[in-house]
Amino acid sequence: MIQIKNLSVDFQTAEGQFRAVNQISFDIPKGKTVGLVGESGSGKSVTSLAMMRLILEPNGKISQGQILYEGTDLLKLSEPQMRKIRGNKISMIFQEPMSSLNPVFTVGYQIMEALRLHQNMNRKQALEQAIDLLQQVGIPSPEKRVKSYPHEMSGGQRQRVMIAMAIACRPQLLIADEPTTALDVTIQKQILDLLRSLQSKYGMSLLFITHDLAVIGEIADEVVVMYRGNIVEKNKTSEIFRSPQHPYTKALLSCRPSMIENPQRLPVVGDFMDDRGQEIKKSLQAQPIKMAKKITTADPILLEIKDLSKSFPVRKSIFGKVLEEARAVDHVSLKVPKGTTLGLVGESGCGKTTLGRSILRLIEPTSGEISYQGTNVMALGRKELLKFRKKMQIIFQDPYSSLNPRLTVQEALLEPLEIHHVGNSKSEMKDRTELLMKKVGLDPKMLSRYPHEFSGGQRQRVCIARALAVEPEFIICDESVSALDVSIQSQILNLLVDLQDQMGLTYIFISHDLSVVKFISDQIAVMNKGKIVEMASPDEIYKNPQNDYTKKLLTSIPKGFVI
Amino acid sequence: MKGVKNNSIWLDAFFKLKKNKLAFTCLIIIIFYFAAGLLCALGVLFPHYALTNNDRSYLPPSPEDWFGTDIFGRDVLARSFHGIKISLTVGLAGTGLSVVIGSIFGAIAGYFGKVTDDLIVWLYTTLDTIPYILLLAGMSFVLGGGLGTLCFAIGITSWVNLCRLIRAEFMKHREKEYVHAATAIGSSHFRKIFVHIFPNVFHIIIINFSLGFIGAIKSEVILSYLGLGVEPGTPSWGLMITDARLELSRGVWWGLAAASALMFILVLAFNLFTDALREALDPKLRGKL
Repeated sequence: MIQIKNLSVDFQTAEGQFRAVNQISFDIPKGKTVGLVGESGSGKSVTSLAMMRLILEPNGKISQGQILYEGTDLLKLSEPQMRKIRGNKISMIFQEPMSSLNPVFTVGYQIMEALRLHQNMNRKQALEQAIDLLQQVGIPSPEKRVKSYPHEMSGGQRQRVMIAMAIACRPQLLIADEPTTALDVTIQKQILDLLRSLQSKYGMSLLFITHDLAVIGEIADEVVVMYRGNIVEKNKTSEIFRSPQHPYTKALLSCRPSMIENPQRLPVVGDFMDDRGQEIKKSLQAQPIKMAKKITTADPILLEIKDLSKSFPVRKSIFGKVLEEARAVDHVSLKVPKGTTLGLVGESGCGKTTLGRSILRLIEPTSGEISYQGTNVMALGRKELLKFRKKMQIIFQDPYSSLNPRLTVQEALLEPLEIHHVGNSKSEMKDRTELLMKKVGLDPKMLSRYPHEFSGGQRQRVCIARALAVEPEFIICDESVSALDVSIQSQILNLLVDLQDQMGLTYIFISHDLSVVKFISDQIAVMNKGKIVEMASPDEIYKNPQNDYTKKLLTSIPKGFVI
Repeated sequence: MKGVKNNSIWLDAFFKLKKNKLAFTCLIIIIFYFAAGLLCALGVLFPHYALTNNDRSYLPPSPEDWFGTDIFGRDVLARSFHGIKISLTVGLAGTGLSVVIGSIFGAIAGYFGKVTDDLIVWLYTTLDTIPYILLLAGMSFVLGGGLGTLCFAIGITSWVNLCRLIRAEFMKHREKEYVHAATAIGSSHFRKIFVHIFPNVFHIIIINFSLGFIGAIKSEVILSYLGLGVEPGTPSWGLMITDARLELSRGVWWGLAAASALMFILVLAFNLFTDALREALDPKLRGKL
C-alpha cells in the first residue's frame, strides 16, 4: 500500500550537511505490520516523520526519493492536499503520551477535533463517536472519561487516548513511534494487544517503530533493521529471528540478556562487526553460563534494612499539618550480603527509586533502621554522613542529567577525590582520574572534554568512574542501563560485572527490566506499591514465582521469537 | 554530538556574537564609551571641562565648540563626555550591588527553601510593593545626595527581579540528578551552590546585569533631573537635562541635545547587545544558528 523508494533525508547542522536517512526502500503491505528497528540515531523516527511530511524546513530536507501512497507520490502533493491525508489516511502515535496530548483540553475535545476536521461531523455526532472510540480502546466508563483532562489519566490510558485519536478517521496506515517505550511491561502488553485487535478489525497497516526486538517479535509480520541511516536487513519476522543475515542484526539479537540463561559476559556489537560495518568472522567461544551466587545465612551481611518507610505529604492543612500522605516505601526489610548483587524490580511508581535514595539518605526516610556493617546510618550527623558517603555510591539512570554540564570530566572526577582527600597532591589525584578512566574503558585523553561531547554510553561510563573514584564498597545502580541502547547496555552490564569481580563490590541494582535484573542479580526482590512482595534467587523467581504480582509481571514480558 | 569543538560556553557565545554584525557594532560602541569614561576620569580627555568663561556664555555649536557652550561658557561636549563617567560609575556600581544581593538571596532562598525562603520572599515582596522611584527618592533624602548614595540606593532597590529569577532556577536545579549525584559523593551545601549550580545559572545573571545597567543609567538621569542625584555642578547627563529645561525657552537646545544623544546611543547599543547576548548564552540555543 505504501512504497518507499530511495528515500534520503538531510539535515543542515553547524558542522555541515548530515544525512540522517540514506536511500532506503521498503514496502508496507495492506493489513500487515512492519517493524522498524534500530538504535537511537539510526534514522527510524526521521523516516516516519518524512512519511508524514513533517520534516521541518529549512534545517531538514527530503533530498531524494519517492513515498508512494496508493500510487500517488506524497512528496509531490501540496501542503493543503497533504493535510487531508495526515490524520485521515495516515495517522501517527508518539512515544510520550503526556506531552503529545494538549493539557488544557479534555481528551474528548481532542478526539472530536480530528473527527470534525476530516469527517465533517457536527458536535453531537462527534461526541458519540468519541465515546465509542474510547470504548474501543478499552477506557472504562467512556461517557465520563470523555470529559477528563490528560493529567487525570494514567500513562497507559493516555496512550489509549492517543490511539483513539489516531484511529478516529479509520486511517489506512498507522505509524506508531515507540508507543510502548515509556510504559511499564504490564501496560505495554495491553497496548500491544489493543493495537493487534484494532488492526485486524479495521484491516489497517501498521508501521511499528521501536528499539526493542522482543516487542517487534510480538507484533510485526516483517522487520526492517536500520543502522546509521541505512537499511541493513529486511525480512519476515520469523526469518530475522531464526537466521539473521547482517552482523548488526545478529549483534542486536544476542546483546539482550535472555530470561533463561546467559553467558558470563554478554556479547557486544564489537564481537560481530567492526566500526565500518564489516562482519568479523570469528566463532564466539562457548562461554560458561553465568550463575547467581548462592546466598546462605552464613554470608557476612554488608547492609541490613529493617522496617524502612518513607511517606510524602499529599495534602496539608493551612497550618502545615499533614492531612493525607502517600507511602512510597512501606516497611521494607532486606539484607544484602557482601560482594553480591540484589536486584530490585518493579513498575514505575512502586517506590524502588525512593527506597534506593532513602538507603543513601539522599531522601530522609520517615522511619526504620539502616545498618551498614554494624553502623547505624540513620543516626549519623551531617558531618559523619558526609564521610560515610565515601563507602556508599549511586549511579543514576540518565547519564545526561547526572553530570553537571559546566564541569569537564576531569573536574567531575576530581571533585569526590578532593572532598574525601583521596590522594595527597593534585598531581596524584590527576593520575588517579586517568586510572579511573582506563578502568571504565575510556581514553584518559578525553578528560578535558565536557559531558555533551560524549555519547550516552561513554557518559554512563564517566558516571561509573565518578562513583568508583572514592573506592566505595557498595553501589546502588538506579536504572543505570535503562536509558541506553541495547548494544551499549550489554557493554555497561559487562563492565559492572567485571568491576564487581575485581573490587568485591556489593550492588543493589534497581530496574524495571526483568531480563537485565535476571542477568546481573544474585537475589531478586520484587516491589509493588511500596512493599517487597517476593524475594528469592533469580532462578526461583523466574521458574517458580509465588506471588501473583510476580506472575503477572513475568507473563507480560514480550517474548517474541527470542528464545 | 560529533565534531563539536572543545569550546566553553563563553567562547561559543563570543563567536556567535562576532557573526552578528549589529551586536558586534554595539559591542564596539560600548567599549568606546568605557574607554572615553576612563580617559575622562584619568584627565586625559577634556581635562578643562570645568573651566568657566563668562564671555563665551551660550555660544551655539560651531566648528570650534561642536556642541556649543553653556551658561558659564563651559564646553558642552566636554561636559557630556564627563557625564559618561558618572553614568558608567552608577551603572557598574549600582547594578553590581544589585546583582550580588539578588543572586545570593535568590540562591539561598531557592536552594534551602522552607523558612529561609519564606523570609527572603517576604523581604522582596515587601520591598516590591513600594513604588520604585519613591523608594529611591526616600533613600536619597535619608542618606543625602551624592554619587555614592545614588549607587547604593539603586543597588539596594533593584535586586528583586534577579532574586526571583535566580530563586526559581535554583529550585529547579536543586532537584536535578547532577545535584543529587553531588550529594552522593559528599559535597557540602556551599559546594553544591557555588561550584555546581551557579555556573548553570550564570547566563541569567549576565543578562540581568546588562539590563540592570541600562536601568541604572536611566535612573541616574531621572533622579538627577528630580534633584535627588549627584551634587549640583557635577557634569552629569541628568543635571544637564535639568538645566536645559530652562534654557530651551531661550532657544538654547544644544545642552539637551548633547546629553540626550550620548545617552540614547549608549542605551540603544546596550539594549541591542543584550538581546544578542541573551540569544548567544541561552543553553537551549547552543549548537544551533
